[in-house]
Amino acid sequence: MNKISLVKIWALSKKNIQLYIKKGPVLIFGLMFPFFMVLSWVLGREISPYQVFVGIISMTAFFTSTAISPVVLPIETREKSLERLLSAPISIQNILLGIIIASTLYSLIITSIITLSFTIIFWIPFSSIWAIILLYFGIFLMAILGSLLGVLVAAKPADMTSEIMLLINLIKFPLVFISGIFIPLGNLPFFAILLSFISPITFLTDLSRYCVYGTSYFPFLIDILILMGWIFILFLLNLFFHKKTMPKRLSTS
Amino acid sequence: MTIVKNNKIVINANNLTKSFGEIIAVNNISFEIHEGEIVGILGPNGAGKTTTLRLLTGVFKLEGNAKVEIYGLDLSKNLTKCKSKFGIVPEVSNAYSDYTVEQNLIFSGRIYGLSKEVIQARSEELLKRFELTGKRKSKTKTLSKGLKQRLNLCLALLHDPPILILDEPTSGLDPFSVKILRDQILKLKRENKTILMSTHDMIEAQTICDRILIMNRGKIIADEHPDTLRKDFNPSLTISFKIEGEISKDLMNEMQNYFTNIKIQEDDSFKITTQDVLEDLHRLYNFVRQRNLEVLDMKLKETSLEEVFINLVKSDLNGEVTKK
Repeated sequence: MNKISLVKIWALSKKNIQLYIKKGPVLIFGLMFPFFMVLSWVLGREISPYQVFVGIISMTAFFTSTAISPVVLPIETREKSLERLLSAPISIQNILLGIIIASTLYSLIITSIITLSFTIIFWIPFSSIWAIILLYFGIFLMAILGSLLGVLVAAKPADMTSEIMLLINLIKFPLVFISGIFIPLGNLPFFAILLSFISPITFLTDLSRYCVYGTSYFPFLIDILILMGWIFILFLLNLFFHKKTMPKRLSTS
Repeated sequence: MTIVKNNKIVINANNLTKSFGEIIAVNNISFEIHEGEIVGILGPNGAGKTTTLRLLTGVFKLEGNAKVEIYGLDLSKNLTKCKSKFGIVPEVSNAYSDYTVEQNLIFSGRIYGLSKEVIQARSEELLKRFELTGKRKSKTKTLSKGLKQRLNLCLALLHDPPILILDEPTSGLDPFSVKILRDQILKLKRENKTILMSTHDMIEAQTICDRILIMNRGKIIADEHPDTLRKDFNPSLTISFKIEGEISKDLMNEMQNYFTNIKIQEDDSFKITTQDVLEDLHRLYNFVRQRNLEVLDMKLKETSLEEVFINLVKSDLNGEVTKK
């Protein structure tokens, strides 16, 4: 990738941040939803602040990263701006990277603010600077992973945001509920543990738990490797499906 | 007679084909476009015009043994390079509606790999040229359709491409905007830009284009200069006139016997379709002189491109097109 390609990808990312950050579905599913979900989880229950902290971080990272990425392509298909991009000297990979970077940055910024705020509110005693770095690295991986998942769902050549949001929510919510956010993995029955392995959120939650408590279900390196594996697979799936469906966005428009 | 500035082939398209499931949108067409030409693609809705443009510009992948060369470069192997040669103006504005005019220009410049300085200089020049300087800070969604189309031309010209692709550029615009756009297209032609435009507007095609490709059902059914098309496909002329005073039934019958191709119009005027205008004018002169009639409002009219187009498409549907 040369300098000109990087400039083009950055221009695409900047455009996606500037134009889509304030869109209704992004605000609703990226900010309001995790807020109310956390509220309904903690209100009236006796949950340790550390567990709440880990849950908030995992949910915020996942929900914010899957907020922008699914909406860009349907909106640009409907408004015909996608055709401008496809006829410009940029590749489909560049277009996808533009969305993924924008979504990752959005998620990173929001989750970092939330993490910092709740670290102070709950006075989280990180054992070392290394634990903080590891936590932020986990958030970074989840931000990329969630962005890739959102873009993958948007491979369906639809021009209605609602259609894609419905689809992504059908995937997102089961992934949140089967992960170890609400109940630590060690307290789950065996079949539920097996089920939780399907969700990538399980591994961010486990990694966050390691950073806060110093202990976790898996070694932290396994959590990182599994998150990276998810990223790799989702990236390949994105390239495969978008190359197939991108021209269909124009033929139907 | 095709007006070709030089023989340099800018676009060489061979065996273009594109299907969408069962539907064949473009059916094995081939053509060349020379430098400095304005080529119009005419055709009814669904003829394959936009699909052809999308194939040429690399938006759609070429199928089968199709090959497109842009300035001698194979489109499939040099997609990015070839795409940079085009400036594209769509029928419906595809500029970002929440961006201002200026932001759209900056974004467009960046994705074409232009430096900040070049974007700045070109933007100033184009905004001035298309009278959009006062609108630079306006959001695109607040612009009228005519202004949006002018912005689209600015965006298409920002990277100074040698080829312009215009997809029904004046569709739905008010006459004032149409005039501005047509003047600009002719100005671009003088700057030696090669222009390929799809249009439904026959007057536009007749007055602007050096060459016309008529498409129907995914095929090119004619490829000529507008004048040649009219002469080749329908060489007849019409003589229309009125006769002073009341026209009796006997006179009407007599005229219909005398001229085989005469029609009586709703306003009681007559219309003779002729292949040999001098001969028929002479006969008409003799007819009225012998009967002491006076001819009023006589007009001679060539077949319009619209009539040629309609006849060609109809003939193609009936499988009667003989000339390409």
